[in-house]
Amino acid sequence: MTITILDGTPAGFSGQLSGLLKGLSAELEEKHSLNLFSLSSMKLHFCTGCWACWWKTPGQCAIKDDAGEIFRAVINSDLLIFASPLNAGFTSSLLKKITDRLIVLLHPYIEIRNKESHHKKRYGRYPEIGLIFEKEADTDDEDIEILRDIYGRFALNFHSRLKFAVPSEQISAEEIVDEACSV
Amino acid sequence: MKLAVFNGSPRGKNSNSAVLIKQFLKGYQAVGSSEVSVSKLSNRKALAENLDVAGRAENIIIVFPLYTDCMPGIVMEFFEALAGEKANEFQRLGFIVHSGFPESLQSEYVERYLTKFAKRTGFDYLGTIIKGGSEGLRMMPPKMTRKLFSRFYELGFYFAENGGFSVEINKALRNPRRMPGLMRALFPLLSKIGLTNMYWNMNLKKNNAYAKRYAQPFAESG
Repeated sequence: MTITILDGTPAGFSGQLSGLLKGLSAELEEKHSLNLFSLSSMKLHFCTGCWACWWKTPGQCAIKDDAGEIFRAVINSDLLIFASPLNAGFTSSLLKKITDRLIVLLHPYIEIRNKESHHKKRYGRYPEIGLIFEKEADTDDEDIEILRDIYGRFALNFHSRLKFAVPSEQISAEEIVDEACSV
Repeated sequence: MKLAVFNGSPRGKNSNSAVLIKQFLKGYQAVGSSEVSVSKLSNRKALAENLDVAGRAENIIIVFPLYTDCMPGIVMEFFEALAGEKANEFQRLGFIVHSGFPESLQSEYVERYLTKFAKRTGFDYLGTIIKGGSEGLRMMPPKMTRKLFSRFYELGFYFAENGGFSVEINKALRNPRRMPGLMRALFPLLSKIGLTNMYWNMNLKKNNAYAKRYAQPFAESG
């Protein structure tokens, strides 16, 4: 199985998430092909909404930065894990920065799925999705439910499903491996 | 400052958000001469300045397009900064979310986040206006936008008079919440004859990219 992890921990943030991801990566690498992207150390820009990726250079982003290697890894993975500490009730703007740009992997055309309009596939298959988040001081059950639902919506639009959404302090690398590998 | 409006579109001044803000403010300013500021979150160098403007406003309205089922990254960046400040007493915060998808249901998930965000940062929550079907708005002929523009004008007018969003107008703007069954049933047919993708095809052709529209540049063989 090919797994891509997008670590949206902001530079200078000292939590336990990055440590957990390192442990997780070491374990996953034994049996799987792994791409771990530490977003804070990469050159990445925010989406400008230019839509070159949809109507000028289909499937290609106009911004020339490190995102290309992420696009390639994501679309060729079986599992995509979003990882981030929570701040202001959500995953980081650093993670959202790259998430916005993943529309390069979709097609502009609309189809009806789930009785709703959604974008058509650009590629034959899309990775399943996991979310690992580190709670902030005031995170409550409602926050987690909102987060889970929003990522569930993303998964739906991304021709995928949200396989798991777990707080980092409640799960070990072993458990995530089990979760990731379960069918 | 009475009202501070933040345009959260990554497209800045050339955005559908800017078009909606313009109509809202026409109505708002028709009531009187209360102070208004409009700031673009796409100007990320002005983050400190934008925070300062927000800190001094009585009412704050953040307008943005739905990006991957949620707020655009630049709006999340602003939220992170706002959350670090905490609201002053009696400050009010509201949102206008629009999306290219025709049904407003798609924006209800981020609405739940926004409601919670206002609460956790200590703002009085003004509510969230949702409008679907906004893509291409800024390029539409006046005939197609007249009704929508007058609703945003009324929304601004009401806001100036009552200090909040009109529940009635919000309800009208959210229609349809779901795609009607008939529309869903006809969709495959409309799609086949190219009606559902007209906007995309027009732009693909304009850019000589129509033949490459199904390109898969990141696919790895085998």
